[in-house]
Amino acid sequence: MVQDVASPDAAPASGEAPALRRFGYAAVAVLLVGILLGTAIGLVVPRFRTPADDSVEAGFFRDMSSHHAQAVEMAMVAHAASGTPGIVTLAADIATTQQAQIGYMQAWLRDWDLSPTSDQRPMAWMPDSAGSVVNGLMPGMATPEQLASLRRATGKQLDVQFLTLMRAHHLGGIHMAQEAEKLSDDKDVDWLADSMVTAQQGEIQLIDDLLKQAQSG
Amino acid sequence: MSMSTPGPERVPSSVKVGKTTGQGKPPTGKTTGNTTASDRQGAKSGKKGRKPVSPVKVSGGRNWGPIAVAAAVVLIAAGIIGYGVYASVQGSRDWTDKLADISGVVNYRAQKNPKIDDRTHKDGAQTYVTSPPVGGAHNQSWQNCMGDVYTEPIANEHAVHSLEHGAVWITYKQGLAADQVDVLKKKVEGKDYMLMSPYAGLDKNVSVQVWGYQLKTDDVNDDRIDDFISAARIKASMEPGAACSSGNTTTGPITAGAGNGTGMDSAGS
Repeated sequence: MVQDVASPDAAPASGEAPALRRFGYAAVAVLLVGILLGTAIGLVVPRFRTPADDSVEAGFFRDMSSHHAQAVEMAMVAHAASGTPGIVTLAADIATTQQAQIGYMQAWLRDWDLSPTSDQRPMAWMPDSAGSVVNGLMPGMATPEQLASLRRATGKQLDVQFLTLMRAHHLGGIHMAQEAEKLSDDKDVDWLADSMVTAQQGEIQLIDDLLKQAQSG
Repeated sequence: MSMSTPGPERVPSSVKVGKTTGQGKPPTGKTTGNTTASDRQGAKSGKKGRKPVSPVKVSGGRNWGPIAVAAAVVLIAAGIIGYGVYASVQGSRDWTDKLADISGVVNYRAQKNPKIDDRTHKDGAQTYVTSPPVGGAHNQSWQNCMGDVYTEPIANEHAVHSLEHGAVWITYKQGLAADQVDVLKKKVEGKDYMLMSPYAGLDKNVSVQVWGYQLKTDDVNDDRIDDFISAARIKASMEPGAACSSGNTTTGPITAGAGNGTGMDSAGS
C-alpha cells in the first residue's frame, strides 16, 4: 500500500504498472473478503433455510398449537359428557385431528431448533392483530368462564354450548390459518394451514346442522 | 451516468450534448448542469494537453469511493450475518442452559434423588421432598393445565402429574394481595401448559416449577419468572406430546384414606 500511494508522485510517467498492482491488491482483497463471507454464509445458510425464531411460520405454529389445544380441551369435555351420537363423533374427530396437527407443528418447530413456545404476545406474527387478542386469548378462544360453564353443563345445554363455542373457535382458527397461508411461502406450512381451513370450514356446516337439531330437539 | 442515458428519454433541460436530438432546445440547456457534464466528458476523452493531470486525481477519487462503499457493504453484511448467527445460536440453545443462566433456579434433576425422579402413578396421598413438589410419584389423573387459574389450593398429587406433562405450575403464598395475584394471572390466562394456584405454607411469595426445576421469589414482577416460563414451558415435559386438557379441575387435597384416585378421576373427566 505504501508503494502504491508513493508511485504516482515518483513515476508519473509509468502510470500503468502501479495501476495494475493496485488492481492486483484489490483483486486479492476482494477474493479474501469473498472467501470469508462465503464461509460465514456457509455456516449460517442451514439456519436461514428454516424459518427464524420471529418468523410467521414459527409464530403461527406456536399460536395455533395453543389454539388447537383448547379445541381438544372442549372436544374432550363434549366427548365424555354428551349423549348425542353425532356430537360425540364430531368431538372425537376434532380432538384426534387437532392433537395430531399439534404434533406436526411442534415437531417442525423442533426440527427448526426453535422453542415450542414464545414470550411474545399472542398473534405477534400477524399484522394488525393487536386488537384481536383479548385477555391473552386468541380469536375464537373460549374464556375460562365459558369453559367452566361447559364443564358443568349437561344434556341439551352441553350440546348447544359446545357447538356454539366450537363454531366461534373454528372461525377464529380459520382466520389465523388463512392469514398464515397468505404470509408464508413455506409450502409445508401452507399445506397444513390449508388443510385446517378446509376441514374446519366443512365442520362449521356440520356444526350448524347439529346446532339446529340441538336447539329444536 | 447521465451520459449513458439517451437524449430523447431525458427531460429537455438536462440534454446537454451538442448532438441534434430534435428534442427541445439544446442551446438553452447550457446554463448550470452543463459545465460539470462537459468537464466529465473532457476528463474521459482527454483531448487537450493539460488533461493528463486530471486523470490521476480522478482515478484517486474513483478508488476511494468504491472502497468506502465496499467497506460499508462488508461491514453491514458482517453485521447481518453476525447477528443471524448470534440470534440462531441463542434461539436454539438448550432450554436447560437457559434455565441454568437464571440465578436462583434450583436444578433438582441434577440431584438424582429417586424420590423426586419417581414417575410412577400411585393412588392416594403422597409425600414429597420439596414444597411445592417438583417431581415424584403422583396420581393417575393430572390437574388440568390449559391456562387454568385455581383460586384454591390444588392437590400435589395431580399437579405433579401436570409437571410431568410439561406444564409450568405457578404457586403463590396463600393470602397474597389480589393485585399481585393478578400480575401472575396474566402470565397464565389463555396459555396451555400453564396452571396456577395458591399454596399453603409457602416460604416465599411465589414459587414457579416445572418437573425437576424450581424458582422462588418474593417479587411477582421478577423478570426471572418470565425467563423461567419462556425457557421451560413444554420443553420440560417428561412425556413429549402429552396434553394438559381432560385433567382434573377440582381443588382441595386428595381425600386421605379413601384415596384410590377413582373418585378424582370421575371428578376430572
